[in-house]
Amino acid sequence: MKILFLGAGAVGGYWAAKLTQSGAADVTLLLREKRAEIVRKNGLVVKSPKGDFTVPVKVVTRGSDGGPYDVIILACKAYDLPSAMDSIAPAVGKDTTIVPMLNGHAHFATLDAKFGAEKVAGGLARISGMLGQNGEILHSGASGVSFGERDGKPPRKALTELDAACKTAGIDGGLNPNINQDLWDKWLMLGSIASMCSAMRGTIGDIMETQDGEAIMNEILEECRKVAAAEGYAPSDKAFSTVRAALTAKGAKTVASILGDIEKSGAVEGHQIVGDMLGRARKHGIAAPNLRFAYAHLQTYEARRARGGLK
Amino acid sequence: MKILILGAGAIGGYVGGRLHQHGADVTFLVRPARQQAMRRDGLVIRSTKGDITQKVKTVLNAAEGGPYDVVLLTPKAYDLDSAIEAIGAAVGPDTTVVPLLNGMRHLDVLDARFGRNKVVGGLARVGVAMSAEGHILHTSPFAAISFGERDGKPPRKSLVEFDATIKKAGIDGGLHQNIVQDLWDKWIMLCSLAATNCLMRGSSGDILEADEGRAIVMETVDECQKVAAAAGHDPGEKGMQTIRGFLTVKGSRFTASMLHDLEKGAMVEADHIVGDMIARARKAGLATPILRTAYAHLQVYMHRRAAQAAKTKG
Repeated sequence: MKILFLGAGAVGGYWAAKLTQSGAADVTLLLREKRAEIVRKNGLVVKSPKGDFTVPVKVVTRGSDGGPYDVIILACKAYDLPSAMDSIAPAVGKDTTIVPMLNGHAHFATLDAKFGAEKVAGGLARISGMLGQNGEILHSGASGVSFGERDGKPPRKALTELDAACKTAGIDGGLNPNINQDLWDKWLMLGSIASMCSAMRGTIGDIMETQDGEAIMNEILEECRKVAAAEGYAPSDKAFSTVRAALTAKGAKTVASILGDIEKSGAVEGHQIVGDMLGRARKHGIAAPNLRFAYAHLQTYEARRARGGLK
Repeated sequence: MKILILGAGAIGGYVGGRLHQHGADVTFLVRPARQQAMRRDGLVIRSTKGDITQKVKTVLNAAEGGPYDVVLLTPKAYDLDSAIEAIGAAVGPDTTVVPLLNGMRHLDVLDARFGRNKVVGGLARVGVAMSAEGHILHTSPFAAISFGERDGKPPRKSLVEFDATIKKAGIDGGLHQNIVQDLWDKWIMLCSLAATNCLMRGSSGDILEADEGRAIVMETVDECQKVAAAAGHDPGEKGMQTIRGFLTVKGSRFTASMLHDLEKGAMVEADHIVGDMIARARKAGLATPILRTAYAHLQVYMHRRAAQAAKTKG
């Protein structure tokens, strides 16, 4: 099967490298000129606790090249979605399935409106890592993906094939019959940890050292749980207590990647991860005072970033 | 009258320098390194009200040069314990201790150490900082201190004299009939400013750019007002309007000094300014959800700072 990846960061890059290395799929990367040049020259360079490897991979810089594709995997940040959609548009044929791996939920409405809901599957990544200084993929642990039909119907052929390719390539997870629940479970976790790590500027362990940090974390988890429930995707008790245990673990070095973005004055997915959760709380009449201050923190950060500092 | 000033930092250095310049009998209690520098360079003030470099009296030990009528205390809140330790020997039976700190908790600590009758209320409104070479940089158009009896009774003789002395030295403010209310008013303003600026990591103007920024600032002020009211010191509508107005100027680049300290990795007066407000709220059965969150933010900072220091040391 032919797969196009938009983006070769930690998620897209690692996944594409594994699929290419194993020969499980015919992979092409759609990249910006600068990134394309590096990947053409060096291949995809993966440094991973599961083993380092380098693999050459096909690269295009225009969506009109190399298609048609069976699957297009969108592995970009939410704030790059508009330009990502423009880039892939020429690559989307009548039988193409788009699998977005973005955080939150806001992107579905945008993608559905542009390409039609039937072309857009649900997807999420549990791949942790970042890009190194020379564009290498520094993979740091989890290597799972999850995707599936958003309407819960039996999966289309493209997704079944993608599932098989992932299994051949040694990627965890794969086809998920209840992808919406999985998306909400991940968002609940991410909404809580991103809110707290950014607004408190610390790790879970740092936050647990404070007088009220644990109480605030528990409240924010409850706020997100109520929103998920109101949307019809309450987490199971087991899933929720697993998340809560991880997010209130004393001494944990766990931290949301958004804090790293903030600390290097980068762009953040404040609206998609926190603002949209808060908006949905409001819509359902759920009080969410802690999401509210976290979103105000992120918006203040953005205002300050826009004007270039504190001076 | 004889005045002892603990430290020759930004506020103490400015006030003491002006007093000395205008003929008051001022002694600075300083550490050896500071004494050496002051003996060598004098006390250097660069000010909107005029520069001056002058030789001043310094002592290393509070037992020297006394007894003093007034001891002026201007440490950072986190240095209060060592400040109390340092001035102990200078406080005689007729000495009045005038602390110029923000917040309220230091008063309890000072009362416990010296007796309530020796300790009056006081605060400073001076835009002043210390340069790397130890010069006092006074940048604000104003320089005021206020002080007074906390029980509202007529001021003791030493305060009346002190009032005349600072006025002669061109320092505004002076005796205040309701110093405790003044302390609360300033604390509400400062706590709201520091809590919101630090929690949001931005100037008041930046915060107002967030959808709910204004509402959050207003609620923070309300939380503080309720604590003040529970202590019998509600600033009243006019006082509150001043505070709210100050905190909600659109486009304001004004920031709490606590945010500057936090961004340069320095110590912060978080326990004194924010933590103590929450402690008083809890004692009075009041909820302070935003202050609570701001304090958690500040505690994360202090925890990380301590961990970093331990790592550098180890």
